[in-house]
Amino acid sequence: MSSESKLLLVDDEQAITENLAPFLERSGYTVIVAQDGEQALALVDSEHPDAIILDVLMPRLDGREVLRRLRAEGNWTPILLLTQVGEAVERAMALEEGADDYLNKPFDPHELVARVRAVLRRAKPGQPPLAAAWHLVCSNLKLDRKARRVHLGEEEVMLTPKAFSLLEYLMTHPDELVSRDRLLDVVWGWDYPVGTRAVDTRIAELRRMLKDDASEPTFIETIPGQGYRFSGIVEGRE
Amino acid sequence: MILRWLPILAPAILGFIISIAYNQSNLANPMLVLRMDLSVFAFVLGLFLSVIAAVGLLINDWVERRHVQSLVQSAQERRRFLSRLDHELKNPLTAILAAMANLRNAEEAGDQEQSILSIETQMGRMRTLVGDLRKLADLETRAIELEPVETGKVLQENYSYIQEMPEAQQRVWNLSIPQAPWPLPPVLADRDLLFLAVHNLIDNALKFTHPGDTIELRAYEDSAQVIIEVADTGPGIPEVELPQVWDDLYRGESARGVPGSGLGLALVRAIVKRHNGKVTVRSRAGQGSVFSIQIPTAEVAKR
Repeated sequence: MSSESKLLLVDDEQAITENLAPFLERSGYTVIVAQDGEQALALVDSEHPDAIILDVLMPRLDGREVLRRLRAEGNWTPILLLTQVGEAVERAMALEEGADDYLNKPFDPHELVARVRAVLRRAKPGQPPLAAAWHLVCSNLKLDRKARRVHLGEEEVMLTPKAFSLLEYLMTHPDELVSRDRLLDVVWGWDYPVGTRAVDTRIAELRRMLKDDASEPTFIETIPGQGYRFSGIVEGRE
Repeated sequence: MILRWLPILAPAILGFIISIAYNQSNLANPMLVLRMDLSVFAFVLGLFLSVIAAVGLLINDWVERRHVQSLVQSAQERRRFLSRLDHELKNPLTAILAAMANLRNAEEAGDQEQSILSIETQMGRMRTLVGDLRKLADLETRAIELEPVETGKVLQENYSYIQEMPEAQQRVWNLSIPQAPWPLPPVLADRDLLFLAVHNLIDNALKFTHPGDTIELRAYEDSAQVIIEVADTGPGIPEVELPQVWDDLYRGESARGVPGSGLGLALVRAIVKRHNGKVTVRSRAGQGSVFSIQIPTAEVAKR
């Protein structure tokens, strides 16, 4: 699928599109480029891309607005947001508004390709992604994104905000290997020298709270030396 | 000047004129309060109002001057910050320009590889710089997650983390966390941030000392504060540089050639400030330095 996939790359900064487009093409994608939000919306209509890489800060129509309009129309084309600011609020908003994933600038282009590949693999044509669902359910584990609450069976699980964000990200990206660095970025928006330990501590906290056995996990699986993976089957509900 | 002081002196002058007028004329001059005649009373009251007005004016002047001073100071800080930023970016950019020029002329694959590697390194430097600047800005606004944190554990974990660095094997380490008569009280902190602050201090100690030097990590409790200290027998910091070490992008003489963004201590300061704490540094050139973080204990912080 990926060799045929068509990507729409939207960024007003030409230096970025000029370098990124050939890189994506060499990675096996067909790439079309838009310089602003309006042009992007027109190209979505005429070209029907398989996925959109969308910069947030743009003149005229910004990336957030493009995302909002497409989702309002019921267009569920996978969208990867390129965020400028690493603020936690901004990132949470990106996911809540139905972006499939996001990357903070500056990013490694290889990381972008990895994200695109994951997003395309996850996408089911015409269906809303998990990232657009308010409730995420995996057997007896329920996560309410609006109320920021988690239930295990009938009992509410009290999680710290960081542990919640971590679980939210893992559950919206099930069956996907997520590196510690990526999780660090999700929870903190930073890379940080001792961060991978912080991630491990939070994962241990999550497992304890979810009564998940690390050696025989139902939810969070450790991939030694690489990261973590949410191994349960997640269902999204309104 | 005269125009400013005239209204202030007016009550005193008026009181003086009234008291003279009463004494000179045959108007009734009844006893008022505290065995004062009306004339004396008018004089004293005038003087009193003038003194109050004068004090008010002086205070106002002082506040204004302070305000102007702080404006000048922040303008100076901004200028200093920009020139440091300029300097921090200039070096990697120059290196990249040189590497690009080499890349254009490179005929062998090996030379090309060398240039690309060098560009990548410099990019990494700039990326770290931008990342740290963002962290610093982010730290001022982001919500922090406070929970009771065992300081001893943070120190212990930091200690074992730094032991993984090969250079750490060439230092003498002392770790002292009090257990008797009671263990250190917890502090109300964001665990990850506190960890980062302590890490930055230890990392600095490691970077600036030489093989054979001693690095001491210690923590103690003092009047409802937990104090964490990182001391070393390194080169120390000249007295003139001491006040500036916590500043954004400040790099002292001895920091030339030591890798880093110049934001490590600024981050420490920002983190500790968010915890209502204080940072201090003591140092003697040639003997070493002690950096300390002071954070209120969880008991106090909750109140």
